[in-house]
Order: sequence, then C-alpha cells, then structure tokens
Amino acid sequence: MPDLLLDIKNLHVGFRIFEGNLQVLNGVRLDVGEGERVGLVGETGCGKTTTVKSILRVLPMPPARITGGEILYRGRDILKMGKRQMQALRRHELTAIFQDPLQSLNPVFTIGTQLRDIVGDSAIGQGKRLSRRVVEAKCIEALRQTGMPDAERIMTNYPIQLSGGMRQRVCIAEALSTNARLLLADEPTTNLDVTIQDQILRRLDELVDERDASVLMITHSMGVVRDLTQRLNIMYAGSIVEAGRTKDLLDNPQHPYTQGLMASVPKLTGEGISEGIPGRIPNYIEPPRGCRFHPRCAHRMDVCESESPPLFDVLEGHRAACYLYGRNT
Amino acid sequence: MSATPILTVENLVKHFPTKRGLVRAVDDISFQVGKRDTLGLVGESGSGKTTTAQCIVGIYPPTSGVISFEGSLIGVKFNRREKRLKQQIRIVFQDPGSSLNPKRTIKQILSVPLKVHGIGQPRDRLGIMSRLLEMVGLPPSEYLYKHPQSIGGGEKQMVAIARALATNPGFVVLDEPTSALDVSVQGKIINLLMRLGDELDLTYLFITHDLSLMRNVASRVAIMYLGKLCEIARTDEFFRSPKHPYTRMLLSSIPVVTEEEELLKPKKIVSQGEIPSPVDIPPGCSFHLRCPEALPICSEIDPEMQSLGEERVVRCHLYGDSPCNR
Repeated sequence: MPDLLLDIKNLHVGFRIFEGNLQVLNGVRLDVGEGERVGLVGETGCGKTTTVKSILRVLPMPPARITGGEILYRGRDILKMGKRQMQALRRHELTAIFQDPLQSLNPVFTIGTQLRDIVGDSAIGQGKRLSRRVVEAKCIEALRQTGMPDAERIMTNYPIQLSGGMRQRVCIAEALSTNARLLLADEPTTNLDVTIQDQILRRLDELVDERDASVLMITHSMGVVRDLTQRLNIMYAGSIVEAGRTKDLLDNPQHPYTQGLMASVPKLTGEGISEGIPGRIPNYIEPPRGCRFHPRCAHRMDVCESESPPLFDVLEGHRAACYLYGRNT
Repeated sequence: MSATPILTVENLVKHFPTKRGLVRAVDDISFQVGKRDTLGLVGESGSGKTTTAQCIVGIYPPTSGVISFEGSLIGVKFNRREKRLKQQIRIVFQDPGSSLNPKRTIKQILSVPLKVHGIGQPRDRLGIMSRLLEMVGLPPSEYLYKHPQSIGGGEKQMVAIARALATNPGFVVLDEPTSALDVSVQGKIINLLMRLGDELDLTYLFITHDLSLMRNVASRVAIMYLGKLCEIARTDEFFRSPKHPYTRMLLSSIPVVTEEEELLKPKKIVSQGEIPSPVDIPPGCSFHLRCPEALPICSEIDPEMQSLGEERVVRCHLYGDSPCNR
C-alpha cells in the first residue's frame, strides 16, 4: 500500500432542513494513496457529491453539519484546519472538476481572464511572481495539453461560446494548471457524448500520468471507472458498501446492491437487462435501521434490520459491508 | 423489413431559419419502421434525433418530405392532422420531471388524453385510469391522487408511459425515456416497455444515445449524424460488423464493464473532433473532418445511401458502387 494521501474515516454528514434532519453520510471510509486512482460509484442521491464537497470544505453550513469522523490529508485533519490553511491546501494540493462546466466557469469573464487568475495566483501562492507573458504562455500551454485545437482564440472567448466538450476541457486545463496533488473529478463527463467523453477521459488520463497526481473519480458509470481507476468503492445511501480492486470488483461483485447494479447495466453482449433493484433509495430523515439496503435486499436476514454491517474481508483486498460475508463478534 | 412498414419516412427535411443562418436539423432522411418492430435511432446530441421524432409526432411540420403512417400522409401541421392519428401516434419524453404538470394529480394528468379523445364514458374513466396504472405496475389506490413531485423519477416515467398508452396507440415514440434515470431504475422501465410492447402490439421508435441499451432493446438500429442517417441495420448484424466509420468510432468509445464486451468492440478507433454546428455543415460527407478513413472524394461529394444486402444501408464512399470504387 502506498502512502495515504487522503484518508476519510467514519465521516458523518447531515443536513438540517425544515422537514427534519437528513442523515446523508453514514460513516464513509475511503482512502486514496499517493499516485493512486480511486473510483467512487453510486446512484443519484447516494452522497457522492456530499463526500467531495466535504473534502473541499465547500458544503454550505448550515444546513450541512459534519457530525463525526475525520478527513485526513497527508495525516492532517482537513475538518480542523483554519481558513488560511484550507485556502493554501485548495491552492496547492487539491483541485476539482465538476459535472457541469457552465456552472463552474464564470459567464461574464473570458476563458483567458479566468485561467490567468488561476495560474498567476497559484504562482504567487508559491512565492513567485510571474510576468504577464509567462502567465499567458502557461495558460495557452495548459489549454493545448487538453487537446484544444485553437488555444489562442479560446482565451478570448466566453464560456457560452464554447461547446460542452470544450468547456469541460477548459475546466480540466484550470484544474491541472496548478500542479495539484489530488484531483477530485465529480462526474466530469456525464453531460457529454460518448465520443467526446472518450477523448476527454483519454486526455485526462495522460495528463494525470504526466503529473503523477492522484485521482478520486466520482461517477455513476461503471464503464468509466473500469478504464480509469485501480481501486473502486461502491456507495449506497451514504456509506461504502463494497471496495476492492476495480477489475476484481466489477468481474465478481459481492454485495447484493453491487450485484443488482451490475445486472442492470445494459451490456454489448445483449443478454437483456435485469429488472433492476426493487424499491428506491431511502428517505434520509428516517433511514432504515441496520443496513440501509435491507428493505431492497433479496438476501436480508434478521441481523440486517438491527445492526449496520462493517466492511468484511471477502477476498484479498476486496471488502463488502454485508452480513452474508461475516458476523459481528 | 421483417414486417409490413407501419411508418414510412421519405426524404424528410426539417430546417429552422435562425438569425445565424439555416439550421439543418434533419436533412433528407428516409427510413421505415415495420409493425411490431423497435427501431433504435441513435446519435450524439445535436444530430437531429429529437427533431425527427417531433416531426413524426407532429410537433413540427416537416420542411419537405413525406411521412406516412399506415398509408395515410401525416406530414402536415399538427392542428390539421386527423384526430385518429394523434390517438395512434404517441410520445414519451426524456425528462418526466418536466413533461408532467407538477400542479396536477396523476388522475388529472391521465384524464386529459381520455377526455380529448373521448375514450369511455365519464363515469367509466376512473376505472380506465386505474387499469392504466396497473398496467405500468403502479397500484392505483396509492398513486391516483398523488402529485408528480411526491413520487420517484422512475415512477414518474411510468406515469408518462401510462399517459401515452391511454389512447390505445399503435406507435409510440420513446425520446430517451431512461437517460434521466439511474441504471437500476432503467432496467425496470425498459422491461416494462418491452412487456407492454408484446402485450399491446406496439411499434416503437426508440431514441437514445446509449448503444449498449440499443443492443438489448432494438430490433433494428439507425445511426444519425448531423441530420443525416449513416447506417441502418438489424441489431445483431449491426453489432457484429459495423460498417460506417462513424458507427465504429461510436462503438469503440463506449465504456464497458466486462471483458467479453471489450472483445466485441471494434478495434480502437481514436475518437477525434466534435460534431460541427448544424448551421455550418461541412461540404461533402458531413463526417469527413472527423473520419479516420476519409478519402479525397469525401470532402467534395456527399455519399448516397446504398444498400448492402438485406435490410442494411450505409451512407459512405467506402462501400458499394461509390464513384471511387468503380
């Protein structure tokens, strides 16, 4: 196991809203090693984005409340950092790409203005002051690296003038222009067509390789993580239900939820699609007691309704949070 | 064609004049859908899939071309279309969140097509609506008086399907019915649609951008690019030997989850470029700028649709008796 860059321990996050207390994250455990690529897969509303936002400390508080757990970045707890430390961390170490580039780019500034800010400021943060020419050259270089054909012209464009794929390339250029160590990619290609998705993921893959950065890739698409990550975590209703090496996990899913999910993915082999998983994601105000998946699970036992299962070792390096694979002692 | 065509589209053109120029959303396409078939219409965003569907349903009148349904011409304005046809041809939209009125109960939503088409006596309609909900697997006592926002995305789509089936149609256009849903819910909707298709003898035009999904539901696949069709083939043949370079690029870009699937994908074709703007379509074959196999002729002459054996057409200079192969 390489040194841990990010280590999330037993994270609990809730939201206090008018209807009551939403207990969204329920003991998330997740780690990313130095130079490692880790996937986090789950369906809508399972808490993937809440996890990313907790790492970046950009959750609006209130209504959000972190009710327990730690997020260690190189051994230091992000949740206990002061404002300045956190800013420095975001400036040098963490970087993120979100799903909708139109929301992450400022509509009233040109791409050039936004990129120059990032490149210039991150240099100042490192104690260097770059000349305007150098900043300009670095920006254009960053855009070129993402496969942008006409970088000089793009610098003068506004986000609205670009296609979705181009906008996402700009976001990638922004994210990777700062030599950050950990890239949080939250559904970076969900809004894009497959051919564009393929191009962007391939570029992202190469750029991350060149920088030897680590990636936490959040997505709902099993296919995307299969190519891009080494380890995979499956999330359901606010906790990790299965974790293991990506190929092992996809070839041989253990948790009933993962099995149901894999059976629902339409395959090119064309053997038909399963009926999916009955029921739907639980209400977070009154989540089911015990294992949060038990109301939808075909294998449920008495213990599932009262106690929430820890991650049991199933195979080497492959763990599942399910009482089918072990008992509490 | 496995059966007699129920819907025939010939040389359909739909242009939208805008300030920036003429948008050629659909540019001369022809295809047929046989009775009980499921034709999968696949393409990237901006390729004209939805406009095609909307011309068929009658939301837009075509600029030119012929659409005929069971022998009668339907390429006219929606308000001049016969009511019988509106009853026969129905549509399910992509996002059930915006296609169902949030202020109305499901009972009110389902009653509209019944009233408009005069189906059943007013006193029988509650029973009809209950049967419709049962048909899509929603218990009527629980759902009739709910509002769309209080049910899940999959359930909303089931209500939208029930509404489409309320008039007892023969032809249903499914415009990306599951792309707003999670995969575990998608399975349920797809299986429901396939079961209803068998029970009610429905013909589907299934629009999607997901080729893996098409593999499992469509009997024939048509690929669309920039307002034109590239290739039409029976599903099994299509996936066994994709012909058009664009089709191969699409197939090789799909992220897959198993090793067996990986083997089915064509040899890696590097995806390049983006779909050009439909205002400014490149001359010749509209795909030539992105095509890894482009020939000099491709930038000059737009290839014709040509038949490659039974039920299979391709529009590419690499095949058949194109000028460059003579």
